[in-house]
Amino acid sequence: MTWKKPAPYTTGTLRPFWDGLKERRFVLPKCNTCEAWYFPPAFCKNHRNEPFFGSLSWTEASGRGKIIAFNITQVALRTAFKDDVPYVYALIRLDEGPIISSNIINCDASSVYIDMLVKVVFWQIEDLGVTIPYFEPDPSAENSALNA
Amino acid sequence: MDNKNSLSGKYAIAGLGMVIGVPEKELQQRKAALPDHPMLANAVASPLGDLTAKDLEAEAARRAIEDAGLTPHDIDGAVHVHGGPRSGGGTTTHLDAFPRMLGCPVNFYYLVGRGGAWGTMGIVSALSFLELGLAKYIVIAGSTEDWTRSHSSEFRGQGNRGHIQPSTVSSMWSLPFGRTAAAHEHSMFASRHKHEYGTTERQFGAAAVQVRAWACKNPLARMYGRPATIEEYQASPSYIWPYHVMDMAVSSDGAIAFVLTSAERARDCPKKPVSVLGIGFGDSQGGQWWEGAAHYTKLPVAKAKEAAFGQAGIQIEDVDVAQLYDCFTAELIMQMEDYGWCAKGEGGPFVEAGHIGPGGDTPVNTSGGLLSAYHLADLTGISEAIFQLRGEAAERQIADARVALVSGHGGEVISPGMCSLHSSLVLGID
Repeated sequence: MTWKKPAPYTTGTLRPFWDGLKERRFVLPKCNTCEAWYFPPAFCKNHRNEPFFGSLSWTEASGRGKIIAFNITQVALRTAFKDDVPYVYALIRLDEGPIISSNIINCDASSVYIDMLVKVVFWQIEDLGVTIPYFEPDPSAENSALNA
Repeated sequence: MDNKNSLSGKYAIAGLGMVIGVPEKELQQRKAALPDHPMLANAVASPLGDLTAKDLEAEAARRAIEDAGLTPHDIDGAVHVHGGPRSGGGTTTHLDAFPRMLGCPVNFYYLVGRGGAWGTMGIVSALSFLELGLAKYIVIAGSTEDWTRSHSSEFRGQGNRGHIQPSTVSSMWSLPFGRTAAAHEHSMFASRHKHEYGTTERQFGAAAVQVRAWACKNPLARMYGRPATIEEYQASPSYIWPYHVMDMAVSSDGAIAFVLTSAERARDCPKKPVSVLGIGFGDSQGGQWWEGAAHYTKLPVAKAKEAAFGQAGIQIEDVDVAQLYDCFTAELIMQMEDYGWCAKGEGGPFVEAGHIGPGGDTPVNTSGGLLSAYHLADLTGISEAIFQLRGEAAERQIADARVALVSGHGGEVISPGMCSLHSSLVLGID
């Protein structure tokens, strides 16, 4: 099926993120020294940095988190999304700390709630050669650090 | 809290000019019903036809100069304000600028802006130029043609609410996820505030209904003549839940300009000078890693308020009328809390009790705000504050208004500094 939605920007400092998704790896920048996680890349706030994010390494993360806020689009404002309504767009606090935003899929929009645990879905779009990080409900309760 | 500095009250707004788009058919009806109404003198037919935002801006500047009792030859500085290169609306920067179109012998034409604090950023810049002695009379002007753009073929069929933006905004993360309107990001505030504090859709609706009631007293407002009830709000579709259409600002065509000069020179101008008493900024990006959920239930008001109120030597009780940035209703409710009109988390019940609308004890957004009047970022609030302080606000005049607060809000969204900018501007009259 042809991808009619806007394509993500997979170049620039997020290129390793998008490259990782293609290999079904969810990678985030992590500080080599203090192990703080960032997304998108930033200079580590805890200490002196190497030039050009040199203190960070793209590191595989859990791909899990919980929803901290969301909305439900009931009426598509662009035709590319009309088959998706109602669709959920959510802010997800990843277990590692950073916040990412994405759609919550593979569930009824009406079943989504704040604090819901979710995990990444690697959604391959063949005609773009891109894998999109959607999220879906994560049924396993004990795999989230935030649950502790 | 008294941090008055040497600039507080030293400079004043001496003239105001504005041109606001009103749908053509409605404009004729309003003019017929209210001949010679002063607000309708500021109206222009929308969509703009052969005019552009650039032309509106030059016209607004012309009016501001005239309002100040000056001629274009007196204007020796110009500041064009806009929303910044990546924010919605007002992104136009004008190569053929109003100083040339008006023939102002300016020493500089300066462009500044970010998010929804264009006007206040413009004042900060102008104050520096004035303080350095680089100009005597500066025109600050900004404009938008969002309404016309939303009705152009490029955007037809996508509605005109929620600030639909072109997918060409480069590098925006959220476009593939169906982020087609600003409401897709701003409603995260509402979602989180509901969750943390139990704020209800009815309370967001109460904010929209009360601001709408103000708009019905301003014939220049987009929603003039369209009073709304909370029942109508609740019955309306929730396009981007939890937001209904009424939770979202209008998009507008228009331009607002004003003349800033020394208080001393302003006293020689025909209109009452409106003094710049205090300015402050806050930015939630500052020093943060990830504030997490807490970041979505408050705005960075604290530092902005402390600075602006300190310079002005005022407390919240001294604010006679507030023009708060109401791009969406959650922002309005959060500002009621963050400025201290009510406790944190109580903004919903506070607004629902009717404080901010006509007849309330805390009048907010007396023009009809961004929600129901016209959206030129904080220029909307600045223009309304000037009307109120000069006693020119007609049906919506707040008796004896001497101190006005104008806020600005906005900036980048979601990653990681969600709408991180906040500005506070305190204006007053002797």
